[in-house]
Amino acid sequence: MADQIILRHVTKKFTTKTLGDIVAVDDFNLEVHEGECFSFLGPSGCGKSTTLRMIAGFEDLTEGEIELCGRLVSSRAKNLYVPPEERGLGMVFQAFAVWPHMNVFENVAFPLRIQKVNRTDLERRVNEALRHTSLTGLETTFPSDLSGGQQQRIALARAIVTNPKVMLLDEPLSNLDPKLRETMRFEIKALQRKFNFTIIFVTHDQSEAMAISDRMMVCDMGRIMQIDTPENLYNKPCNRFVHNFLGESTFINVVIRDGKVYASGDMEQAIALDIPKDAAPEMVVATRPNEIALTGPDQGGYRTHVEKRIFLTDRTEYLVPVGDQMVKIQTPHRISFSEGEACCVKFMEPMWYPMDDKQAELERARRQLV
Amino acid sequence: MANVRFENVTVSYGNHTVLKNFSLEVESGQIMCLVGPSGCGKTTLVRALLGLNKPESGIISVGDRVLFDAKKRTNVPAEKRNIGIVFQDYAVWPHMTVIENVSYPLKKQRRNKQEIQQRAMHALEQVRMTEYANHLPSQLSGGQQQRVAIARALVTDSDVVVMDEPITNLDAKLREEMLLEIRMIQSRLHATILYITHDQQSALQLCDKMAIMQPDGSLCQYGTDEDIIMRPANRFTFEFIGVSNFIPLVQRGKEICLDCGEQIPFTQWVPAGVDVAGKEMGVRLNDVVFDRQSPIQATVTSRVFLGSEYNYFLTLGQREIRMQQSMLDARTFGTVSEGEKIGIRFLNPHFYDARKEAATV
Amino acid sequence: MSTNRDLAAVDGRRRINMDKVMTVVCFILLFIIVIIPIFMIIYNAFFFEGKFSLDLFTQQLTDSKNLSAMWNTLVIAVCATVLGTIMGVFYAWLLGRSDIPCKGLMRALFNIPYMFPPFLGAMAWDLLLNGRSGYLNRFLVSTFGLDGMPFNINSIAGIVFVEVSYYFPFVFMQVVSALERMDPTLEECARIAGAKQGTVIWKITLPLVKPAISAGALLILTTSLAHFGVPSILGYAQGIYTLPTRIYSVIYNSGGSFDGIRQGAALSVMLVVVVALALVLQKKILSSGNYDIIKGKSMRPTLIKLRGAKVPLLLVAVFTLVLIVVVPLVMIVLISFIKAYGLPLKFSNFTLSQYEKVFKASGTIDSIKNSLFVSITAGLICMFLGTLVAYVVQKIRPKGKEVLEVISVLPYSIPGTVLSIGVILAWSGSLGITLYNTIWIILVAYMARYLSFSMKTSSAALLQVHSSLEEAARVCGASHTESLTDVTLPLIRPAMVSGFFLIFLPAMREVTTSILLYGPYTRTLGVQIYSLRDAGMIPQAAALATVAIGIIIVLNAIVTQITKDRKGV
Repeated sequence: MADQIILRHVTKKFTTKTLGDIVAVDDFNLEVHEGECFSFLGPSGCGKSTTLRMIAGFEDLTEGEIELCGRLVSSRAKNLYVPPEERGLGMVFQAFAVWPHMNVFENVAFPLRIQKVNRTDLERRVNEALRHTSLTGLETTFPSDLSGGQQQRIALARAIVTNPKVMLLDEPLSNLDPKLRETMRFEIKALQRKFNFTIIFVTHDQSEAMAISDRMMVCDMGRIMQIDTPENLYNKPCNRFVHNFLGESTFINVVIRDGKVYASGDMEQAIALDIPKDAAPEMVVATRPNEIALTGPDQGGYRTHVEKRIFLTDRTEYLVPVGDQMVKIQTPHRISFSEGEACCVKFMEPMWYPMDDKQAELERARRQLV
Repeated sequence: MANVRFENVTVSYGNHTVLKNFSLEVESGQIMCLVGPSGCGKTTLVRALLGLNKPESGIISVGDRVLFDAKKRTNVPAEKRNIGIVFQDYAVWPHMTVIENVSYPLKKQRRNKQEIQQRAMHALEQVRMTEYANHLPSQLSGGQQQRVAIARALVTDSDVVVMDEPITNLDAKLREEMLLEIRMIQSRLHATILYITHDQQSALQLCDKMAIMQPDGSLCQYGTDEDIIMRPANRFTFEFIGVSNFIPLVQRGKEICLDCGEQIPFTQWVPAGVDVAGKEMGVRLNDVVFDRQSPIQATVTSRVFLGSEYNYFLTLGQREIRMQQSMLDARTFGTVSEGEKIGIRFLNPHFYDARKEAATV
Repeated sequence: MSTNRDLAAVDGRRRINMDKVMTVVCFILLFIIVIIPIFMIIYNAFFFEGKFSLDLFTQQLTDSKNLSAMWNTLVIAVCATVLGTIMGVFYAWLLGRSDIPCKGLMRALFNIPYMFPPFLGAMAWDLLLNGRSGYLNRFLVSTFGLDGMPFNINSIAGIVFVEVSYYFPFVFMQVVSALERMDPTLEECARIAGAKQGTVIWKITLPLVKPAISAGALLILTTSLAHFGVPSILGYAQGIYTLPTRIYSVIYNSGGSFDGIRQGAALSVMLVVVVALALVLQKKILSSGNYDIIKGKSMRPTLIKLRGAKVPLLLVAVFTLVLIVVVPLVMIVLISFIKAYGLPLKFSNFTLSQYEKVFKASGTIDSIKNSLFVSITAGLICMFLGTLVAYVVQKIRPKGKEVLEVISVLPYSIPGTVLSIGVILAWSGSLGITLYNTIWIILVAYMARYLSFSMKTSSAALLQVHSSLEEAARVCGASHTESLTDVTLPLIRPAMVSGFFLIFLPAMREVTTSILLYGPYTRTLGVQIYSLRDAGMIPQAAALATVAIGIIIVLNAIVTQITKDRKGV
């Protein structure tokens, strides 16, 4: 598969009044393949939206270059900048951005009217786009009379009507209610299969990103953290931030003494874990609440007791003390312990990370204010 | 601290009866979550308890004190009911500092200055807001404002604290934190809390007891979290509390079959004497499990990795079924890839009347 | 919103219902202040000595002078609206969407015309471009050796020019704020769809701000239709009348006789009909296209790079500002120092004696005192009354609250001239109360005219005070009255204060209403300037105008200071 979108050393700097210079996007290099669904995932202020806007052509680059479908569209070195209307993209925004003064048909027809497509062709293509987004019958309705989901469908129809090769989706589902969000995901995937375009999907919601993408990029504070498939990212996060961002995480501070691992606050009972080679004396062991086995007190593992039990629809949650920390464990309903009962916990294949970096936390807090 | 009793309370707005002969008891020293879809009358009930609207009939009492009795024409005014309230939109007064907000109820009780100061600070300590005592609400985040509202509700040692969707306006991470915090404060103070929400998930995380209201304003089930999840009283509770599959059943001779376009024999246990005609089987997504030996064979149409679980779409006959596979099961059983045919089994099936088309939740 | 009725119902069983008392008081006061004068106009226009008669009406309608006045009114209003709208939209776009420099400063300057009474502007332009003796005209003649005066401000075109320069901010402000609130992705979407920048402006931006444009345009239209100052200063000399100035002259020429006032009343009805038509039009247009364009996360819009056009456009904007803001102000100030009107503007001809004369003249100090007294009193009364009405309408919501709302806003839609006639008819003895020739009649007129200002600001503030804030107070142990005084009133106090200034400032510079109501000892500041000029004492009028401008600038500065750091809603 060919690379359809290529970013080389893309950097964007802003100057703000209150916070001084901010490097919003710091040396991004990535290739998105043809027909791929690629997500930009990260917290607000991580640079994902800015990157998307640079690809769309709404922002200029401070450094680097962007190539779309084999054509250079932005390059600082060559002082080249193709305006958004000439990049041939489809784009859907978070706030729908359907034009309230046009009815559904006119909204969708607009891009074709700009291209001066003849009447019969235009009607055929608009109707086809409406059919694929289940909007047939609503042609003469105005957007204000439609629900959020329908408005977002108009935006989708308007984006696919020109048959673009690349579709940029900027948090397109965030303004919808949770149920609709899930169905729309599948609709977007179905459209992609039908029209065979490449998707760049920007979101801060990890479950959405994991459900929809072939590959994704996790970024934080203007830097790329990791690019990989959802499964690899979830199972082998390269650092603590990615681990925490991709799903519920349990972090346990541990002390390594004499080749044994102790939870901080409890130097009596060791936890049976393989110590990685380059481990420092103090480390963080990271795992997920559903990857901790909760067993009876004689089954082996770290001996402790159930502090609190929370019964949820699809699982039971237990809070269990490990050393001086409280660990959350999720199990199916069939594994049942009552509050106060003795139990054992075992950690399955956890990740090891160095202790927290206070500096990074401060920087993150500062950026949230921009 | 006291229990709260509603007895046969009826409330109407004009011709529209919101609550009819509603009875419920909130036990002393517990968190009771009243859950129901929006518009079912939860808020009306709370407003009746607070004295902000007037029921047509019934009795409302807190502990031994009758606040409202239609027959005896008792109606204690709102300001004398001694109930704490936390609203969804915080309702902290923007022109008063945090400490002024929290002391206001005490001032209205004409306490002396020193006591006011001391108790207000104590209440702020409970919600970890002492360092913001002299801030104005506009200088605080949503979560902090809601903490102030909680402190204000706690400061007079009210008999009952009512929380009306207190975390709905906060973002997901903060919501989780606030729930934990409410839980901790309650276990310290042993306050009676009536917690109103439309979000069953947060209710489950918080409650001692849970009451589910139906859209028509009637009480549908009352019990512990486990009762409600494992033994839902009716189809409404079952559907409201989680996402499920529904498959119609048909009788074929002696056999009971799943009607999925084609009829698939269903050999699992069905309660004796149940007439399956017009019935549906409901089963939660996480109660569908893979079992190679099962005679019920389905095809995987798509598999989505969601981190803590896998989501599958299966085709059974001509019907689409969803299931969730927990990571634990994925480890022990392994995952199934798209296009594969595999046996499935239904744990904890529930049997309900098929829903008529018009009825929606 | 049944919530507050609940509260009232729960209280109602126990004590005299405060809410009911407030509602009744509102209705009575509004009836006296608003309904009676309006009724008196209609009654006197159609009834003569107790009998229904259309004679007066037909007589007025057939008078050719009145017809030409009506025609002039329409022509001026339509031209001012069209030109003002074009100008307003253009500058709004330039400041809201392009990368033109010095935006903040220019915005502030563009709002200045809004602060000053247009009749001062008309005075200044009359001095500059008077068809016979304007300074600028004479300068141009002598410099270029022209045969006749190149400009004549005393014409319909001149009136339109001055009105445009004072009324275009109506459109400008509406459109700028609409552009700022507009979701920029609506425009970005069109770019992605392949549209060029120009197409986006034409097909997307303009249609989307259309409601704001038409709201501003209709404001210009109705204001211009009812406007008195500019046409009276520029038109009289040439015999150009509009309906408001015609009404004034009819009454003035009859020496304030009852017959003259009745004629005025009949003309007023004509004027009201024209304005009412404009308002109906406004309702139609506004309701047809009220789009929601402000959702979505706020993002700074992509500014359009003007590139080569930047400098020329900046020059155009600066030139406009100088022309409409700086020139008239400077002219007034300069003339106030001149020894005698007509002398060249040389330093040797300057003197301070005009100020001395003005302040020695008997009426001047009185007029300042009168204006201060009436403005402050009207401001205070309206502040409380407006808040009361707003509270009744927003929170108590009795039956007939719509009526209450309409009544309180009604007087502002009625031209000031018409309102004065109503007040004269109502309070000069026909109902047993004679206020004519006293300061009180001006006060009553101001109250009716400006009530809607404070009502609207208080209403908006009360809407922000969510009912849960009051309820929280109730639950915390406060009685109904206590929850009002402890929570609601403190929260809307800033809005009440700004409501006061919204009334006080325009009342200080008002001339349209008081010109028909003043008596020998009750001139207002505006009337005094107007009559000084009318009497030919132009430098003195300019001196007093300079003082008035000074007062307005100081007051505005105070208001900005006060409203800047307010807390609450």
